[in-house]
Amino acid sequence: MEILIYGAVTSAIYALLAVGFTLIFGVARILNLAHGSFYALGAYGTYVLTSIVGLPLWSAALIAIAFVAVFGVVVEKVLIRPLRHSQLGVLMISLAVALVVEQTLFLVFGSEYRNVPSFVDTKINLGGVDVAGQRLLTLAVASVAIGALYMFIQFTRLGSAILAISQDPEAAKYMGIPSDKIFSLVMAISAALAALAGVMAGPFLSVQPSMHLLPIVKAFAIVVVGGLGSIPGSIAAAFLLGYAETCVAYLISSSWTEIVSVLATLLMLVFRPAGIFGKRAAF
Amino acid sequence: MTHALLEVKHLDKHFGGLHVLKDINITVQEGEIVGILGPNGAGKTTLFNLLTGFIPADEGQVLLRGKSLREMRSNDIVGLGVARTFQLCRPFVGLTVLENVLVGSLGPRVKTDDIGARAMHLLDQVGLVGKAHTASELLSYGDLRRLEIARALATDPELLLLDEPFAGLGSSEIEALSELIRKLHREQKLTIMLIEHKLREFMQLVSRVVAIDFGEVIAEGVPADIVNNPRVIEAYIGRQNPLEQTQHA
Amino acid sequence: MKAFRGLDSISVAGGLGALAFLGFLPTLFPGKYLIGVLTVAAIYGIWSVSWDFMSGLTGRENFGHSLFIGVGAYTAGFLNVQFGWGPWWSLPASMVVAAFFGLILGFPTLRLRGPYFALAMLSAAVIMQRLMLIFWEFTGGEEGIQDITPLIKDPLHYYWFVLALLGAITWFLAWMARSRWGLILRAIRGDEATCLAAGLPITTYKIASLIISAAFAGLGGALYAHYQLQVSPQLFAVVTSITIITMVYVGGMGTIFGPVGGALLLTLMTEGLRNFGEWRLMVYSLLLIFILFFLPNGIVAPTWNKIRNLFSQERP
Repeated sequence: MEILIYGAVTSAIYALLAVGFTLIFGVARILNLAHGSFYALGAYGTYVLTSIVGLPLWSAALIAIAFVAVFGVVVEKVLIRPLRHSQLGVLMISLAVALVVEQTLFLVFGSEYRNVPSFVDTKINLGGVDVAGQRLLTLAVASVAIGALYMFIQFTRLGSAILAISQDPEAAKYMGIPSDKIFSLVMAISAALAALAGVMAGPFLSVQPSMHLLPIVKAFAIVVVGGLGSIPGSIAAAFLLGYAETCVAYLISSSWTEIVSVLATLLMLVFRPAGIFGKRAAF
Repeated sequence: MTHALLEVKHLDKHFGGLHVLKDINITVQEGEIVGILGPNGAGKTTLFNLLTGFIPADEGQVLLRGKSLREMRSNDIVGLGVARTFQLCRPFVGLTVLENVLVGSLGPRVKTDDIGARAMHLLDQVGLVGKAHTASELLSYGDLRRLEIARALATDPELLLLDEPFAGLGSSEIEALSELIRKLHREQKLTIMLIEHKLREFMQLVSRVVAIDFGEVIAEGVPADIVNNPRVIEAYIGRQNPLEQTQHA
Repeated sequence: MKAFRGLDSISVAGGLGALAFLGFLPTLFPGKYLIGVLTVAAIYGIWSVSWDFMSGLTGRENFGHSLFIGVGAYTAGFLNVQFGWGPWWSLPASMVVAAFFGLILGFPTLRLRGPYFALAMLSAAVIMQRLMLIFWEFTGGEEGIQDITPLIKDPLHYYWFVLALLGAITWFLAWMARSRWGLILRAIRGDEATCLAAGLPITTYKIASLIISAAFAGLGGALYAHYQLQVSPQLFAVVTSITIITMVYVGGMGTIFGPVGGALLLTLMTEGLRNFGEWRLMVYSLLLIFILFFLPNGIVAPTWNKIRNLFSQERP
């Protein structure tokens, strides 16, 4: 039972991270290695706004997410877009950004773990298991956010534009869809989702400058397994991976958990590069 | 029994639900110039991709002098003497014209020691020798086509597959390229298969035409007969009729 | 007519001159500190050159080069400490083991497009790092393997040895790069399908170049192990790979000799920034961004080419 609940929570966080990552890839073909930094900045932003500036948690969280969204848009416009002709250049520069962010956080806050306050402090008993309320809230919020995103893409004009660009950027341009603006919008959404994950998970996951690394490895693993550019694929793979990790952690040992995702990536890339749902293969 | 140079038997290919090539049968004798004619989407380039091993066939046989080419890797097929050009010119970015041809000279069929001289000779034949040290990205479209051909020739092929060599060229360039192909056919004793949908130049260049539409062979014969073939005419009605190009152009 | 340029005499002269200069430096400024810095710089040079041969020429950037380095270093550590072999065995052994990893990793990953290959290699390096920690009973965990015996006790002589190896490796790889190997690798960068159409077995060449790259990286790792006299999982870190890539960018991708200059420059710069302590990684990252935008051809190689053109103009 514990595995069921904790697995769900982990999967929810991974889903938030993976969906944003796959979204910006699907639309703009950008493998954004700074995605983890959005996650980190969401957590750190909330921390700063609550402990140092003294804002109430809700507003701190919202402002932090908004800030990260803007940051993401700026990074994309200023640093990534000029290098778009080279996929590897984009990789390098997003990695450089991630490292700069990490170093800045390290220099400003030091390497100790920081405390991001929880929205919900109580423990709830679910099926005989005591679960932190915050974790359940994370699960709920993640589901709502992803659900909202899905409806946005399926049922609005802007959403259709995003789908069009992800299928064929050139053709979309000829139809008058302003791809540059859409890229910014998608980046904002992607960053916001990652920041949201940071805000919600910060209270119970570690908050320190190098926290951006694992989410990137996991997000990449999930997106490869689920299929690059496919949102349903990312969600499915997020659950697969989340549960796989939780099972491994409970049944074998927690130090093996990262290996699961990295191994899954490698195996998937080798045997089925298109992922489970992917249409675009990695080669 | 002497085999024809190339025999294609019952070649069949699906892309998902789309039946792209249906039971294709073609025979090419040594020394011929055969044209593959068909409107866009007929499956011509797919045919070339199947012949050269870039895509696997679902069914059927491809025999080069009786030897099956199916299941072979594309670079090994080149090693047997089948070379191709691409519809969209693909020079090696970052390499000079000469280096492009040198790369083609590194295959197993080339036995000479001095591949540099051989490459220059090939460039001379296609008329690019003056641009040997130019970056390949800087070439004009017509020159890129010549480079494609030189690079294909560098592999020392017996059978040369040209995919829409005249696409995007003006009429004088087409004349010149046509003359080059004829010259190479004579001097190198090459067998050539040519895809095009510009019928006029085609007709003067090829000895035999295989017409394809919607993945099927709809007609086969000398150019003069194909032009009057009702099924061929029907395939082109509604699309730009290349037969009328000469009259209304 | 010669098809392949080969190494021209000016370049060889320049290379030998640079080597001689580097060899003499410690006698001008004696002291263990400088020798240590230069030794590390030379080893980074070997790592950078090995990376450039595969990734610089084919354009397939390998984000997991640290895996081959770590594997070579740990081989040296195991043989020397766990099995008690003499230190000189480390050199060939590290090359063989690293080459082996190049082979088994190359097969599945090299058919992937650029960024996916990069990230697959990155993942592999991360796995190796975790494995070193998980199997701590064998590998010594966080602390790694200690008390490795040095190859050559005198630091100056060891430095010259490493420098000589750097020179030999650079010369060899530069020669390969200007031979048909290099042409094929650059053609693979241009267009793989067209390479196939030209009759070349590109998979063989890609894997072979990765194996060569891995072998020399592993050798560098062993040299590093016998310098530091210990190995730790930190060797597998992403930072190492990124540092090397930055060095290659600074030096000039695909030029082979450029990355050596890049390695030297950056190692010296890092030492010079020692006072900045924690700012070093930041400066590196900012430098990388700067170079990606403004100097995509690097600094060392274009500068050398200008100097070289001056010389060749003076010839009749």
